[in-house]
Amino acid sequence: MIRVESLTKVFRRPRSFSGPFGSLRTLVTRQYDERTAVRDVNFEIAEGEVVGYLGANGAGKSTTIKMLTGILTPTSGLVEVNGRVPWRERVANARSVGVVFGQRSQLWWDLPLIESLRLVGDLYDVPAGRFTTSLARMRDLLGLDDFLDTPVRQLSLGQRMRGDLAAAMLYEPPILYLDEPTVGLDMLAKQAVREFIAETNQGGRTTVVLTTHDLADVEALCKRIILIDKGKVLYDGGIDALIGAYAPPRRLVVHLDDGTRNFDLTEGTTVTDLIARISAEHTVRDLSFEEPDLEGVIKRIYADHAS
Amino acid sequence: MIRPLAGTARIGLRFQFAYRSDVIMSAVALIAQVFLLRMVWTSVYGERQEAQGMTLEALLAYLTLANLQAFAINPIIPRIAHFRIRTGTVFFDLIHPAGYLPQMAAFQTGHTAAGLLLMTPAIPVVLLVGSITVPAQPFGYVATLVLGYAIAVMIALLIAMIGFWMMETGAISLLYRLTSQFFAGTMVPLSFFPGWLKTLAQALPFQYIGYVPAAVYVGRIQGGDVLRAVLVEMAWIAALAAVLWMVWRRAHRRVVINGG
Amino acid sequence: MAEILRTFRLYWRLQRATARGAMQYRLNAVISVLTGVVYQGAGFAFVWVVMSTFPSMDGWTLEEIAFLYGLRLTAHAMSMMPLSALIGLGWMVREGELDRVLLRPLNPLVQLMTKRMGVGQIGDLLTGVVLLVVAAPSWTPGKVAFCLLALVGGALVEASVFVAMSSLSLRMMDTFAIRVFVDDVFSRFGSYPMSVFGGVAQWVLTFVLPVAFVAYIPAGVLLDKTGSLNVPPAVAYLGPLLGVAMFAVAYRIWQSQLKHYHSVGS
Repeated sequence: MIRVESLTKVFRRPRSFSGPFGSLRTLVTRQYDERTAVRDVNFEIAEGEVVGYLGANGAGKSTTIKMLTGILTPTSGLVEVNGRVPWRERVANARSVGVVFGQRSQLWWDLPLIESLRLVGDLYDVPAGRFTTSLARMRDLLGLDDFLDTPVRQLSLGQRMRGDLAAAMLYEPPILYLDEPTVGLDMLAKQAVREFIAETNQGGRTTVVLTTHDLADVEALCKRIILIDKGKVLYDGGIDALIGAYAPPRRLVVHLDDGTRNFDLTEGTTVTDLIARISAEHTVRDLSFEEPDLEGVIKRIYADHAS
Repeated sequence: MIRPLAGTARIGLRFQFAYRSDVIMSAVALIAQVFLLRMVWTSVYGERQEAQGMTLEALLAYLTLANLQAFAINPIIPRIAHFRIRTGTVFFDLIHPAGYLPQMAAFQTGHTAAGLLLMTPAIPVVLLVGSITVPAQPFGYVATLVLGYAIAVMIALLIAMIGFWMMETGAISLLYRLTSQFFAGTMVPLSFFPGWLKTLAQALPFQYIGYVPAAVYVGRIQGGDVLRAVLVEMAWIAALAAVLWMVWRRAHRRVVINGG
Repeated sequence: MAEILRTFRLYWRLQRATARGAMQYRLNAVISVLTGVVYQGAGFAFVWVVMSTFPSMDGWTLEEIAFLYGLRLTAHAMSMMPLSALIGLGWMVREGELDRVLLRPLNPLVQLMTKRMGVGQIGDLLTGVVLLVVAAPSWTPGKVAFCLLALVGGALVEASVFVAMSSLSLRMMDTFAIRVFVDDVFSRFGSYPMSVFGGVAQWVLTFVLPVAFVAYIPAGVLLDKTGSLNVPPAVAYLGPLLGVAMFAVAYRIWQSQLKHYHSVGS
């Protein structure tokens, strides 16, 4: 479905100058600053997969997504989506993908939601009959009925996001890109978004690529994640395998009379040994374990990579 | 009292410098405007020596000067005050010990000073494109211009205070700029206005921003008439001060009651 | 062909939706239209006041200049009403709106044009048409046809310059000041009998930045004042062709800047 080979993007910008006539010098300069945003990235995503594409801010996530959607042309390498090169067949590619940006709505601000959905239907040449059935499905899945006739500017963030999801899936594209779809939402709205994504993907109908900072999204939806940092792929595989491979040691948290201390359970020490050793020196009031989770794993990978 | 106001004036100065590329473009537009006026008027004068008591030479000097003045005086207060009211930062202006109106006036003065500085390179070009003579009455010119500037700032303050009652004042300030410039006589001296329009223009205070000082400069207004102009300007300033004081009291009460 | 029809149909639908949105701020819209009328009216008031003392400007009467003024203003409104959304292009690029446009299966320029409604330009259009009708010479079918073609040509000339300059915003360049200046040149110098500006300026305004083709040359032909033209009167008939050619060039510039955006992003 999606094939990415040795994908590289180097941004080359004219060096900017400050001071008087700085902007003029910037305009005519032949000096450039280069920055590699994506470096030799390879992956394949099969039909029906839900993949979490993770990375810190500036890691190259959105640059990759922009190349997958045909907004940006790569410096070198190959992208094939549905058998097409997105930036060469921008329009054809646009018809087969849905894109949701959590931070920016594609809906018409001053018009009722239903009108935005109609306009999206027009833009993607959805025939009237299919529009009706598709809209009915969206209304049902996303509970749009309460606010279908409300101007978008009056919607809550969660309602607006549901509207945006409906707009992205109305023409039933085989691929859905979601860029931080749950940012700023409350728990209930987050849940609704996750359920919709799961439902959309059910039966392998739609391939989903998801970028997010909320690892709960990933844990709820993705079997596979691709982790990038500084433009390079650090990890590509299942979540369980990742936690297994990179799992930080379980941690024993001990509450003592004079405060709280943490002990890592490194290999070779047993829990009983450790507790015995601690209680010999201190009065233990309470203790608990911290289990390794995805967040801890990713923090650790970044820390390793940075050093 | 003076020190904080000097600070505000400095901010106005820096504000003008920060937007210097806009200022440079408006200087270029000023040159284009003076060129246009010069060509149009030269064409309509044709062979005539004089019209409405003005020679072409005096008229061109008048127009060059009036446009330079309008460019330098360009009121910033309505724009900045509206912005500060909308964003709520007006609160800081209101609790400032120097008082709201003096601060705004100081801001405008700093802004004008920077405008004058930025204008310096444009002046030779403008003088070349237009044409200008030595002032006929230097003292009369300075007196009428300074008083005219005070009138301009006071009217700008009045316009700015509309912002305490209305949310959207952009269109009103634009309309004000258009009408004030027209009635100030920056494109046509008031003496050329036909009958009723002339009566109207002479009843309005805008002539003191453009026409009166420039006409004194080129000698169109002379002798006792200069003194009379100065007296009328002072009367306008007194009247505007009274109006400002009344409007400000209402605006202030409104802000205090409604919380901005 | 089918694609062109589809583009027109979608342009119409999107533009209508934007208009419906703008109509939610009715008072704002009314004020914008009024401001346009007053702004353009004040410009013409200058001519009127000058001409109340002097009978003619380089052989043109007040009525004839009013016609020239109206022609220029109508062409200006015709070019800017559909394009005024591009004024905010720099902002749309910064805010990432352009990315969304590139994700949809429709010409990006057409989509951007429908992002906002040129309400202020309605005031320009009203003033222009009123001047045009009030000051018109005796119409013949031929003259009407010529006038309409001239308007289209003039609108295309101004639109081309505007689109070419706007496309620089795709490079994140701040084009506000330069656009204001060029708009100024069109409105200040395009609305007068150009011969008053002298040979050099007239030459520049004919052959470098062809402002003369917007109103001065066609008005000269329509009003039989071909004496002061610096081109043969027959050239007036080339106005629409020039407009189309210039717009083709402007669109090529737009495309190349869009390509640049594809490689650099925002």
